[in-house]
Parts: sequence; structure tokens; C-alpha cells
Amino acid sequence: MIRVQREEIDVDAVLGSVKTPGSGCVVGFLGTVRDESMGRAVERMSVEVYEDMAVRQLSAIRDEAVERFGVHRVSVVHRYGDLLVGDSIVYIAVSAGHRDEAFKACRYVIDELKERVPLWKKEYTADGEVWVEGERRE
Amino acid sequence: MIVRIRVKYFASFRDITGRREETLEVPDGVTVEGLREHVKGLYERMAGRDQVLVAVNGVFAPLETVVVEGDEVAFFPPVSGG
Repeated sequence: MIRVQREEIDVDAVLGSVKTPGSGCVVGFLGTVRDESMGRAVERMSVEVYEDMAVRQLSAIRDEAVERFGVHRVSVVHRYGDLLVGDSIVYIAVSAGHRDEAFKACRYVIDELKERVPLWKKEYTADGEVWVEGERRE
Repeated sequence: MIVRIRVKYFASFRDITGRREETLEVPDGVTVEGLREHVKGLYERMAGRDQVLVAVNGVFAPLETVVVEGDEVAFFPPVSGG
């Protein structure tokens, strides 16, 4: 399951989407909206997405994770639109025979997502709106 | 020869350009790098940015890639999802 959506993430559905009879574990990563950023208090956030490209990039990262770490299945759901402090932003689930490769693959997926998937956060603080921009990667 | 290229802008670049997308007329054979320079020429505040990422048809494209009519070219700042 690779998806970008406005709606709340159904974590149980994402977990269910990766389970296989041969899997001994599922590792999940949940990203949430934090109440501060670079020392500024964050009141809320909005996320913008280039949807077609984001889905393509996430699918490529999923395939890389399966190939590199030998995990069974990878699902990623990322939200866009308006979010409040504490809201879920992204959920990643990875199933594997054993936990070591599942943790590594999950870490790989979130790290690559942060560098290569066209999503942008705008934070709303007491000082105004600020686009968050990451490290360059062409 | 002139080709028409569909261009999209995201995040802070959408704010700078004041638009989500537009169609640009550029010389036939233009590369990703050439198109990026063209866009920087149109928008002063884009020119000041040294991190202008470019995707062609939803894939990060090398600067020497030739852009052809019908391509969708996206300009955006470094990403910040997750």
C-alpha cells in the first residue's frame, strides 16, 4: 500500500497490508506533528504534495527496501493538507522474517522519504508561516 | 523553433511565482538546466535560490536532459516530508 491522502491514517489497515504467513514481525514507524521547530512554537502545519511524483518515488523506495534488506512487504501512507499538533503525518509498516532487516528497512524508507519524496511542510508559528526546506538532493 | 512546456511550481516556489502552473514557450532543444535559467529569469526571487530542484514527468532529471513538448516539468525547493 503506497498512498498520499488527506484523511487520518488507518494504522491497523496499513499493518494488515504487510502481514504475510512467512513474516515473523512487522515494524511500524509513525511520524507526528511536533509542537516546536528550530526553537519556535508550532501551532499547526500544512503539508503540500506533488502527488503523482510522490507515489512514484515512494513505490521506488519500497522496491529498493525489499531488494536491499530482503523484507517481505512495505507500506507507506503520508498525509497532506492541514494538520494539528499530535496528528499523524506518515505511517510506514515493514514485514520481514526477522526484526533486524525489518528495522533497517523501515529506517531506510523514512530516511529516503525525507530526501526524495516531493512533500513540503509549512509550519504556522506565533511569528507567522514558515516553509520547511530540507537538504538538497537531485 | 519554439516548444511549449507545461511547468508546475510547488511550496515556496508557488508563493514566489504566484501560480501553480503555466505554459512556457522556449527554444526547441532546451535542456533542464536551460529551462531552469529561463524560469530564474522570469522570477527574480527564484534567481536568488541556489537550491532549485527539477523533475521531468515525475522523475528527478539530470541537468543535461532535453525537454520536449508535452513534458511536465516541476520546480520545487528541497523536500521536507515525513
